[in-house]
Amino acid sequence: MSDLAIGIASFPVLLALIFLRVPIGLAMFVVGLVGVNLVTDGWTVALGRLKTETYTTFSNYSLSIVPMFLLMGHFATLGGMSTALFKAAEGWLGHRKGGVAMASIGACAGFGAICGSSLATAATMGRVALPELRRYGYAGGFSQATLAAGGTLGILIPPSVVLVIYAILTEQNIAKLFLAAFVPGILAALGYVIAISIYVRFYPDRAGTRPRVPYAERLRALVAVWPVLLVFLLVVGGIYAGWFTPTEGAAVGALGTGLIALFNGGLTGKTLIESFHVTARSTAMIFFIVLGAAFYNGFLALTQVPSELADWVVAQGFTPLMVLALILVFYLLLGCVMDSLSMILLTIPIFFPVISALDFGLVNLLDMQAAAVAEALQNGIPEGVAPEMIASIREAVANGVELTREQMRAIDINVSQGRVNRIAAEQTAIWFGILVLIVVEVGLITPPVGMNLFIINAMDRTTKMIETYKAVLFFVASDIIRVVILVAFPAITLFLIR
Amino acid sequence: MHTAMLRLAQGMAVLGGTVLSLLILMTCVSIVGREIGLGPIPGDFEMVEAGVAFAIFAFIPLCQITSGHATVDIFANRFPPGLSRIMRAVTELVFALVLILIAWRLGSGTLSKLNVGETSFILQFPVWWAFGASFAGSVIAAFVGVYMAGVRIAEAAQGRPLIPEGEP
Repeated sequence: MSDLAIGIASFPVLLALIFLRVPIGLAMFVVGLVGVNLVTDGWTVALGRLKTETYTTFSNYSLSIVPMFLLMGHFATLGGMSTALFKAAEGWLGHRKGGVAMASIGACAGFGAICGSSLATAATMGRVALPELRRYGYAGGFSQATLAAGGTLGILIPPSVVLVIYAILTEQNIAKLFLAAFVPGILAALGYVIAISIYVRFYPDRAGTRPRVPYAERLRALVAVWPVLLVFLLVVGGIYAGWFTPTEGAAVGALGTGLIALFNGGLTGKTLIESFHVTARSTAMIFFIVLGAAFYNGFLALTQVPSELADWVVAQGFTPLMVLALILVFYLLLGCVMDSLSMILLTIPIFFPVISALDFGLVNLLDMQAAAVAEALQNGIPEGVAPEMIASIREAVANGVELTREQMRAIDINVSQGRVNRIAAEQTAIWFGILVLIVVEVGLITPPVGMNLFIINAMDRTTKMIETYKAVLFFVASDIIRVVILVAFPAITLFLIR
Repeated sequence: MHTAMLRLAQGMAVLGGTVLSLLILMTCVSIVGREIGLGPIPGDFEMVEAGVAFAIFAFIPLCQITSGHATVDIFANRFPPGLSRIMRAVTELVFALVLILIAWRLGSGTLSKLNVGETSFILQFPVWWAFGASFAGSVIAAFVGVYMAGVRIAEAAQGRPLIPEGEP
């Protein structure tokens, strides 16, 4: 068998193992190990790599964000911020039709701003909001679906563990990805609120009513969430403003939420040990998948499968949008049976080269040159430049002709094709990352194995799972519409980083 | 027996968590030092890298003993219980072998670093210290992995569950 054939044959083997309930990280590790053995004719290379690869994978400075974010998320849970957020959102929204459900979404969005994990957000907000929803006469399935969907905001709104992994896999800037995720995250929350208002119009009897809250009380409740805002601004703002690296930002966030939990009395010796246990389990789970994926992807790279696949897709002449749509639909389907991090680690090394090889027309050389010229000339014509030169530049821009090197040098700008390509590659990577983030998160709320649905349903067994499944379809529809909008208008995701 | 193993795994988790917390504190102190002009703690990121690697190895035993690894259960849930137990035993056995392999290779990597005498870039501490700490963690992870393989094999042989999955 050729190396390429071995690489391709590894897919069905890997999938079969995973579907036989072999832990995903273990399956990737073993297939990668055997694959490297076959491709390099012996165990020498595989065993040699193992001498250092486990250590170097686990000691990756950027990846050390992950355990810190996980600890931060648990401290945020202990800090009682979930209750404060829910009270504030409920005060402003609770009296509307479906308002307590909308408030749950708002509170989830707020909690997502200090927690990088969907499961933690769903679990934490579920404990706070589910009893309240039931108390005000919201149907069980509807309440659970709301909280399961709200939980996905934990990852969509930065900080986000999945985005960190994506950034490392694709060598992108974590700060830019966080910034790009911000508007789509807000859109997600708005979309869920709209889904709720449509749901209560269809089923008015499934949402109760709640009296208005006086404004003084609303303001008091709003002020009580200041620690959340402070930690969010410090972490995400600080990373973006360049005060510290993303890893340092994660440390600041963990300390910040830890202090909040300490002052609120939520952090004691006992709960600290609990936090370590929870963080240990999730961290070990994630890093074992990361390790397995590193090994498997190293093997795939040896077989040239990712680059061959990218070449093949380009040669077929599919339109870029068609390829993107196919990949996103594939994620939606795979998300029905697999968790988001595993999907990303398993597939991004294969899909990302394909996406990178396609031109989505996100940036255009002539447009960028025109913009640069306009900026350079906005304060009048620079001194010492011949008027004829300026006239020729203006004429080129007006006629859509590419500027020459001399023209650009005359007004001190530099917008070459190479630079435009670099920007296009980065924007494609970020845009694709946000789209993938959304579709893999949909997997958390799609039947049959949406983890968020299970977590919430386990809190109140009196609601039948099927009721939750039915209600969650409204939220899934909202997710899909949002993906279509973000695909159609890349600027929504990208304008903040331009 | 199981209680002792669980205590060991939990103890390692708390040890790793403590190291992680100290690294978080150190990083924050370093940022403050840098911002107020005293300068950062030298080599802070080297300590983060070495410490987090150890912490992750220390976290694996608890994940192992509580069956915390990510799996796709939807198809395997329909298998008959007997077959399911045998598959679990095989999986856990392979997992134990992989953890032994990882520990063995990491031990060998530690020895190489020791012999070469490589030191870290800024703090100039011998790199084998960091490798050695992780190696110690990986040995305990392999130990717990072997124990869990034994448990699952016993379950398959006796045809009944002994230790539930998930948190204790």
